[in-house]
Amino acid sequence: MEETITNKLYTNKKSMEIFQRGLKVLPAGIPGHLGPVQSQFIPTSAYPLYATRAKNSYFWDVDGNRYIDYMCAYGPNVLGYNNELVDNAAMEQFKNGNCMPLPGIAQVELAELLCDTITIADWSFFMKNGGDATGFAKMVAHAATGRDKVVMIEGGYHGVTPWTQSLTHAGITPADVENNLIIKWNDAAAFQRVVDENPGQIAAFISTPYDHRVFADNVLPSDGYWQKIRQICDDNGIVLIIDDVRCGFRLDTAGSAEYFGFKPDLACYCKALANGYNISAVVGRDSLKDAAAKVFYTGSYWSSAAPMAAAIACINELKRIDGAKVMIEKGKKLTSGLVEAAKDAGITLKISGIPSMFFMRITNDDSLMMQQEFCAECAKRGVFFVSHHNHFINCSLTDEDIRDTVEIAAEAFRITAQNNIDRLNR
Amino acid sequence: MPDSNVKARCNLFAVLRGIEYLVENDSDCKDLVAGVNLAIQFNVSGGPSGNLSFKDGRAEMKSGKHKSNIVLYFSSPEHFNKMIDGKANPIPLKGLHRLGFLSGPFMKLADKLNYYLRPEGELLFNPEYFRINTELTAYTAFFALAEIGNYDPLGMMSGSHIPDGILQIKVDDGIGIYLEVRNGKMNCVKGHHEDPRAILSFSSLESAHKLLNGQLDTFTGLGSGEMCMRGFIPMLDNMNPILDLVPQYLS
Repeated sequence: MEETITNKLYTNKKSMEIFQRGLKVLPAGIPGHLGPVQSQFIPTSAYPLYATRAKNSYFWDVDGNRYIDYMCAYGPNVLGYNNELVDNAAMEQFKNGNCMPLPGIAQVELAELLCDTITIADWSFFMKNGGDATGFAKMVAHAATGRDKVVMIEGGYHGVTPWTQSLTHAGITPADVENNLIIKWNDAAAFQRVVDENPGQIAAFISTPYDHRVFADNVLPSDGYWQKIRQICDDNGIVLIIDDVRCGFRLDTAGSAEYFGFKPDLACYCKALANGYNISAVVGRDSLKDAAAKVFYTGSYWSSAAPMAAAIACINELKRIDGAKVMIEKGKKLTSGLVEAAKDAGITLKISGIPSMFFMRITNDDSLMMQQEFCAECAKRGVFFVSHHNHFINCSLTDEDIRDTVEIAAEAFRITAQNNIDRLNR
Repeated sequence: MPDSNVKARCNLFAVLRGIEYLVENDSDCKDLVAGVNLAIQFNVSGGPSGNLSFKDGRAEMKSGKHKSNIVLYFSSPEHFNKMIDGKANPIPLKGLHRLGFLSGPFMKLADKLNYYLRPEGELLFNPEYFRINTELTAYTAFFALAEIGNYDPLGMMSGSHIPDGILQIKVDDGIGIYLEVRNGKMNCVKGHHEDPRAILSFSSLESAHKLLNGQLDTFTGLGSGEMCMRGFIPMLDNMNPILDLVPQYLS
């Protein structure tokens, strides 16, 4: 039989061998969200575990397999892996100096660029990870209001520091989360209720621009939702924080709040900020600049110049090509192809969220088992999807990549349908 | 700090329930209840009530108050828990003429529970002992998990996040236990469900034994292939913190 992209099946022998070594010396083998358990690699054997290199929309694993990647390192890959513009800017700065006893000029240049780019930004503050940014934004809110409590959305994700987690998670104590007030997404009335129940005690409302939780269809804000939240915050002196870590620059270069037509007080960025270089940022309104200055918050590498140079190059390029629009269009093209391919196999595929970071779900069963089978069949053929999380589009994705992806997905849908005739007939 | 009432529930509906399994799987236990037709009612003041009945060579534990030949009263959950630890006696309220069953066959059944749940020496090298120990431990742990998820404050918090559906735990080609979850309340059932929403499976009884005895963590088990999960993973994600509480109640 002639070998094609749909019948050439990958093996992951080297990945598994290295993983066995990792299990002996690293908790969970691969700690964190890239590990096979957190990544929902079901079954583990169908997926690559270690990468050797990446370029544009592809990465190669240790077994030499090439994958068309729709996780984009969980977001940072926005222009394409190893984008030359960004890499050259970072390398130039590395040659001149990166981690130094003083910040480089890039710190000011990047802050100026963000203030020129993001609608609400009057100032910027830099750190390393998304969790650093949400933590800083929360501290600024506490400093500005003198209040203890924070309203959050059930199922929302703002990093892994203890205050962002559930009390039921390992390592979390009641004191870590005692000031969190949890409400459901898209429920402005619930926000008004907790504000009324906690008068003068709420420092901030923090949320992602839309509900892009894992394991569930993603949900956009209902009409007028953000405007109501903004009004309640204004009426009660509450700081409105947008966690734009995941959505940032994939909806609107001027900020995801701009996309949904409202203005937060603080916005957190990371992932797409520097195309893979380690930097995150909080931007804010002038009224909170004094509070931000007072909060002592820093780290050994937070002023490193090379990631800042990378961020400048990345943002300028995203602005030049209107990256958010490009990714949304590519996302639309891909997802419409996937829906049609599923339909041809008798499967119903639901797409939710914004197309540049779409979530997909097979609706024929509520257990996700078909979804997991589908993703595993794709992985075996070189398309990297996961079953639980939203996906990410990057600007370098080509029409050929989309065509190949849909072709492989069609075969994966066909196999999944064949293995689940009983479910499809229910 | 384990709640004494939850511990009493675990002792009654998970540990003592193990007698159901023993009379099916251990020939000595089977002989002990051959021809026995009676029911023991356990009433714990401020705690659970349960009924352990023997009929046609089988044992069955039921929650609540049911027809019984012997009624044993306990003044508090602590009193019942001390009885399970062999440090207190029950107060018999009914069936004084049947107490011979309690001091005889029932005590031997309790000793057998202890024998299988607390391995000593090289007993685990015996394949049949290993099988019974592992299966009995698994049943005990997951029946206790349901009690903890329904009654322990932290367990209830995790339980409230478990989506509705059937969560199947099984050993490939071996035993199965499933949790029926609805509105955060769970019920543990022995066996294999035909339409689970999530599955946690072990490749072998040995893998199950290692996990239940703290010799294998979930991440390593899943990564190494000794364990496998599939389906609606939030069910498992929110069950795991309850499973972590089980040793506090059964140690």
